[in-house]
Amino acid sequence: MVRALGWISAAALAVGLVMAFGVAPREVTQGNVQRIMYVHPPLAWVAYLAFGLVAGASIVYLVRRRPAADRLAHASAEVGVLFTGLAIATGSIWGKPTWGTWWTWDARLTSVAILFVMYLGYLLLRGTVEDRERAARYCAVLGIVAALDMPLVHFSVYWWRTLHQPPSLMKPGGFSGSAAILWPLLVNLAAFTILFAYLVAKRVRLLRAETEALA
Amino acid sequence: MSFARRAFAVAWKDLLMERRSKETLNALLFFALLLLFVFQFALGPDRERLAGVLPGVLWLGFILSGLLALGRTFLVEREHDCWEGLLLAPGDKSAIYLGKLAGNLALMGVVETLVLCLFVVFFDIDLGRAFPGLLVVVALGTVGLAAVGTLFAAMTTHIRAREVLFPVLLLPVQVPVLLATVKATEALLLGEPLGAVAHWIKLLAAADVIYVVVGLLTFDVILEG
Amino acid sequence: MPDNWTFVAVAYGLTGLVLGLYWRHLVRKEKELRQIKPSRSVTGVAEHNHEPSRTGHPRPKQDAKSSLQQ
Repeated sequence: MVRALGWISAAALAVGLVMAFGVAPREVTQGNVQRIMYVHPPLAWVAYLAFGLVAGASIVYLVRRRPAADRLAHASAEVGVLFTGLAIATGSIWGKPTWGTWWTWDARLTSVAILFVMYLGYLLLRGTVEDRERAARYCAVLGIVAALDMPLVHFSVYWWRTLHQPPSLMKPGGFSGSAAILWPLLVNLAAFTILFAYLVAKRVRLLRAETEALA
Repeated sequence: MSFARRAFAVAWKDLLMERRSKETLNALLFFALLLLFVFQFALGPDRERLAGVLPGVLWLGFILSGLLALGRTFLVEREHDCWEGLLLAPGDKSAIYLGKLAGNLALMGVVETLVLCLFVVFFDIDLGRAFPGLLVVVALGTVGLAAVGTLFAAMTTHIRAREVLFPVLLLPVQVPVLLATVKATEALLLGEPLGAVAHWIKLLAAADVIYVVVGLLTFDVILEG
Repeated sequence: MPDNWTFVAVAYGLTGLVLGLYWRHLVRKEKELRQIKPSRSVTGVAEHNHEPSRTGHPRPKQDAKSSLQQ
């Protein structure tokens, strides 16, 4: 089952790649660097998806105390932090030629950066608490606090950047909505989501095997 | 024993201990004073530049002092082997959370008052009309900081790397509180009325409610073992 | 605007590299574990993963907790 997922994601990614370079046109204002749009938003979307999954699994764990829920939370956080880091990196790489700078404290980037740091904190907590059951409980609480905090982060960062400070920089990613740009984006969105599911499934399986090996 | 009485008992015990030993309070007050020196040296004597960053620096002072104060919330229980006592306490354990939170708020209140006074003196600020609004902002921000801080302090009590992990976990979560308080303080110090920062106030209030409710609901879980 | 293909290459390449390395790490770890412990029936074991203490000590706390918490 997991292996099937792996093959599907590989195929989807391949299709996505072909579409990103073959089907999608050269963008008018940004040139070919705009093609980064076929990886960056998908990565960012998965980053948030993973976070939501961590929160959901954490709640399930606290209510039901099912080890599977804890494994799902752990795996989602681990894979999620990778996707988040890549989202930031690709966003930064995209930003340099288009904005002229590697980094700017605009609302979206800042939010994702905070998300990244929260993930890291979660994984750090996992790593430092020795007792497996206690780690599961503590991380579940942290996951829930962090998830409830994200809307607050969004609003505060958005107000921080836009009130009295209208964005003067061009934002990459505003697409005209033509099908040639939309479809590669959607395909890649789906492909990365499937890849995420595959990696999480593999990680969960590995976690279960690890606990069994230690038992 | 009712919930409220238990919470009050915890808070009262902590405050009494603090009043007798004064070890935390004295160290914190001294720390706050030192922070002021450090800020002044780090930022230089340029009055204009200082005026611009003052709200941020003020809240940096609150947060740094807060990290120290809140991190020690369960120090007594840990050092004197009373942690199991907390675990075995009958009834709703969130009363302990509330009591600890109340104690922390009192402690932070004293420290923040001093920091504010020092700021007014050292940086020659005219609080004037801004004071009531500032009080509201500081109160809301402190509740937000302490609410999550108390919860995370319980979590990190038994970890060896607690001095590092506690700030690492707390600071990202506190970003909304930091942004809201600094922006609101900035506006208030510029003479704007409280209504102008209503959205920040609402955010802070929402954050406080969320944090305290989550703290109350999940403290039992932390204290399971 | 110039095409900045290097940026595109780095972005795609980095993504592929990081995710690929992580995938390979998972695969290797699984192989390792499979060599240590030959696969056995999963059904009976999975449910108890997080409950028993690894040191073998019983966990009376579980029972004590339920009797104290009414």
